[in-house]
Amino acid sequence: MNKSELSTHSVKPSRQSKTLFAAIWRKRYIYLLLLPGLAYFAIFKYIPIYGVQLAFKKYAVNLGITGSPWIGFSNFNLLFIDGDFWIAVRNTLIIAYMQILICFPIPIVLAVLLNEIRQRKFKRTVQTIYTFPHFLSWVIVSGMVLNMLSTNGAINNLLAVLNFDRVQFLTDKRIFRWLLVFLQAWKESGWNCIMYLAAITSIDPTLYEAATIDGANRWHRMRYITWPGISMIVVVTLIMRMGSIMDAGFEQIINIYNPAVYEVSDIIDTYVFRITFQRPANFGLSAAVGLFKGITNCVLLLTTNWICVRLSGTGIL
Amino acid sequence: MTTLAKRNMRNQIVRNNWFDIINILFMSIFALLILYPFYNSILVSFTPQADYVKTPFMLFPKNLTLTSYQIVFESKVIFTGLGVTIIITLFGVVYNMILTVLMAYCFNNEFPGKKFFLYAVIFTMYFNGGLIPYYLLIKDMGLMDTLMSMVLPTGISIMYMTVMRKYFASLPVELEESARIDGASDLVILFRIILPLSMPMVVTFTLYYGIERWNEWWNGMLFIKTAYKQPLQLVLRGIIQSTGAQVMSSHLQEAGIVPFTDGVKMASIVITMFPVMCLYPFMQKYFVQGLAIGGVKG
Repeated sequence: MNKSELSTHSVKPSRQSKTLFAAIWRKRYIYLLLLPGLAYFAIFKYIPIYGVQLAFKKYAVNLGITGSPWIGFSNFNLLFIDGDFWIAVRNTLIIAYMQILICFPIPIVLAVLLNEIRQRKFKRTVQTIYTFPHFLSWVIVSGMVLNMLSTNGAINNLLAVLNFDRVQFLTDKRIFRWLLVFLQAWKESGWNCIMYLAAITSIDPTLYEAATIDGANRWHRMRYITWPGISMIVVVTLIMRMGSIMDAGFEQIINIYNPAVYEVSDIIDTYVFRITFQRPANFGLSAAVGLFKGITNCVLLLTTNWICVRLSGTGIL
Repeated sequence: MTTLAKRNMRNQIVRNNWFDIINILFMSIFALLILYPFYNSILVSFTPQADYVKTPFMLFPKNLTLTSYQIVFESKVIFTGLGVTIIITLFGVVYNMILTVLMAYCFNNEFPGKKFFLYAVIFTMYFNGGLIPYYLLIKDMGLMDTLMSMVLPTGISIMYMTVMRKYFASLPVELEESARIDGASDLVILFRIILPLSMPMVVTFTLYYGIERWNEWWNGMLFIKTAYKQPLQLVLRGIIQSTGAQVMSSHLQEAGIVPFTDGVKMASIVITMFPVMCLYPFMQKYFVQGLAIGGVKG
């Protein structure tokens, strides 16, 4: 961008371009400091975006991305007749919506309730506990869970002691999605709750004092002060989540699922991973899935943002 | 507010009623729910196999043993993994922080083309090339099977950069202006004035990046082919996903011990999360504030 501005400047020196050039020159060190970051995004984000063209090509290793021949929409035709792909799309949507239904409200409720606790030490302790799982990888969490929920694991042992039947948590198709959603809530609720808690803390305390003097009980204060105070951030978070509906938790599922439950838990990301690295690879086909997912996500994000602008006057983009 | 009103209010607030009791109970149960899997893992890792098989449901251990830990520590894989993870965490955090701080500082300034660059950066949050172009890029860059393949692609987290930028913007402008009048360059202003004032943020994001690099396994799984270059989490994943006698088999065959698979797995998990567990309670303040500031201001 700098260069093109420079060249137009030399061809047609007008007053405006001179001042622009001067402004750029004055900030030359800023551009220099910005360079490493921009280089990172150019290389690791924009080159892959450029590589998306692979979705319309037949990839040949010796020709590279740009050299491979164009084949139009063949990759997509191939993809859309693959039954596994549609199963993956369905699973992604189902799991993502279950997550919104279950995992989205829990942190909000948690934040409101935590805010009502006045025993400072207790509050800080439980908050510390709630947040901890967020900082562990899904590899660790899956390890703990696979052990706990296996046929001879702690939970099934407990069920057996209490005279219930053992449950095949990890291989039962009816249970598995719920297990995924529950684990997601277990790991991330505490972390997501911090944001709401911070929003609540930033509410003017005199509002509560005034309301209390006016005779508002705790329910009134939660309903008419706390909730309006966080509703905006709730809406924004919800939009963000809706905009990434095609992400249903790849790192979680790839570490926990197994062939017995592929049918209910194979999401788009795990599908791409499997067709790319566990079959004779067809990179064009895999790239087509990536593009499909990227475009769907973008469309959903823009739609939800548009709805939000219509409803509340402000969007997030 | 008058003292009388204050006293009235305090009386009303301090009294615990049924709501508080139920609330505290509920919060405690939730906390136990979070804690139990950790307790279970630690318990299993210290339990002898015989006890584990005999006891229908174990809440407290009868005998403790270090056998599982011995098996884990006597195999080399956990140490090579640890070494790799320490290297990529150190290099990664320095690399991440330099890029993030520089970009946050630049975007906190006004300059021609700022909007364009900012949008170009934010766009990548919402659209990316997907797995295959990314994989081919790393391959073409010659990063296959190198530790750099787990460092270089991590770069900048846009969210952390944005929070940092907002924090910089909240600092008093006068400091920067007066330094500029005294002839200080951008680098001097950033490192001598802005960063010292932003230490809490620097600590917070160093921790975040540190934890992310510590938890690295995905790039390793994609790009690392040589066993001794695998990061700790990937080694752990291998141990967890293996079954029965596969667990650290080569070593065990020499020693002639029947491994307690679950115990070895849980011991590996405890070892892997040990540093985070030790760090976390003391640094909790820093862990929490990044998101808190980002959430309220963003």
